[in-house]
Amino acid sequence: MFFKNKESNQVSENSILKVLGEVNDPDLNRDIVSLGFVKNLKVQSGKVSFDVELTTPACPVKDQLKNQCYEKVKAIPGVTDVEVKMTANVRSTGTQGNRVTIPGVRNVIAVASGKGGVGKSTVTVNLAVALSETGARVGLLDADIYGPSIPLMMGTKEKPVTEAGRIEPVVKNGIKVMSMGFLVPENQPIVWRGPMIHGALTQFLTQVNWGELDYLLIDMPPGTGDAQLSISQSAPLSGAVIVTTPQEVSLLDARKGLRMFQNVKVPILGVVENMAGFVCGHCEEVTPIFRVGGGEKIAHEMGVSLLGSIPLDPRIAEGGDKGTPVVTAHPASEVSRIYKKLAGDVAAQLSVYQAQVAGQFKPLTLEWQ
Amino acid sequence: MAVNMLNIPLAPVGLKQLGSQVLGISWNDGHESKYQVRNIRLSCRCANCIDEWTREKILKDETVPLDIRPKKMETVGRYALQIDWSDGHNTGIFTFEQLRSQCECESCLQNPKSH
Repeated sequence: MFFKNKESNQVSENSILKVLGEVNDPDLNRDIVSLGFVKNLKVQSGKVSFDVELTTPACPVKDQLKNQCYEKVKAIPGVTDVEVKMTANVRSTGTQGNRVTIPGVRNVIAVASGKGGVGKSTVTVNLAVALSETGARVGLLDADIYGPSIPLMMGTKEKPVTEAGRIEPVVKNGIKVMSMGFLVPENQPIVWRGPMIHGALTQFLTQVNWGELDYLLIDMPPGTGDAQLSISQSAPLSGAVIVTTPQEVSLLDARKGLRMFQNVKVPILGVVENMAGFVCGHCEEVTPIFRVGGGEKIAHEMGVSLLGSIPLDPRIAEGGDKGTPVVTAHPASEVSRIYKKLAGDVAAQLSVYQAQVAGQFKPLTLEWQ
Repeated sequence: MAVNMLNIPLAPVGLKQLGSQVLGISWNDGHESKYQVRNIRLSCRCANCIDEWTREKILKDETVPLDIRPKKMETVGRYALQIDWSDGHNTGIFTFEQLRSQCECESCLQNPKSH
């Protein structure tokens, strides 16, 4: 070259996009450039800044991706400074069922079990808190009309207020919560038949002012009865998480719950094995009280993912009774770490599903002429 | 985590009226189905048309008007189509799988196994 142009030292946007194209999102199995995740790329002499917009703030490999992006760009000759900002835009997995629509809610996740007593509400509450802590906007609907336990577990007894025919959900720890437990006194049973339950749940979905949410978690009542079936048929579910304990008697019912969702074509995001062993408070040895490997077994058998195994930890029950979920009360504990990973995996599974079926599920109507 | 690749279930991507009594459904796998609407009405599996315990058909075909038409139809959740009929019947939910298996397009009628 005869002319040594100063501009040749300038780092080009293309060279940056080229190296970022070598960074793969491990869940979606594609590079972040072709996925359109790289935004606001700015180059000023040696200073490079850009955003990486993920499909969920709960991405389990967020830090790993950030490091990779940083290292790759930093290695380009001429680059002096790199600023990577991780952002998220949660995409909707098509929550528009058409009997019920919840505008503003991007993903509706049902947390279900076949059998009662497996800790489903505990899992739902901690999953909600863990998702919320990543920065996602989270709502929690207690659909267990007969035995609502979410108010106790979230530690709130506030009464929701009604404004212009809309019910304002109770906000606790940044999570919007709605439960039958807010509306009836604690000791009074709900003695209702199926159609009343259906009506109440439809109201909770449509007349509660959920606002903009990335994830709305529904704590389903146990079993495969009226309420479960109505929700899975008419609520716009993006996916379902099945909670089970490791022993066969629980797996038996978990299979039924799983099949119910499969029958109505709700994607199964995976299985969570709860009460998977007791962690000794003194020596941290794990005692498998309810046998081993049940969650793994059912996930394998039904062809779905095992999202996580949560051990029994007395602090979980304590937190539930006191209204301080363990993820908030003991953020550094092993169970909290497992819950946070679970939140990331659920979000990742939804993103994968979204990438695969984008636009495949549109509600359709036809008026005959 | 080993992310599980979810199977994409069969779903319609379009509903069309092809004639006064002919319904067209476009599917997400590219197939184009065609139906005489009265045949759909006759295959209704709701509890008023099929006995819930014996699975015997209660509906008498001759009671369904020959000129029956849908008034309105809409998808239910991710798995079925609900149809309001001109004879007032509206309790039937037709699953996508059922509808696909009774496709009346020429190639399906010739090869009943090719669905």
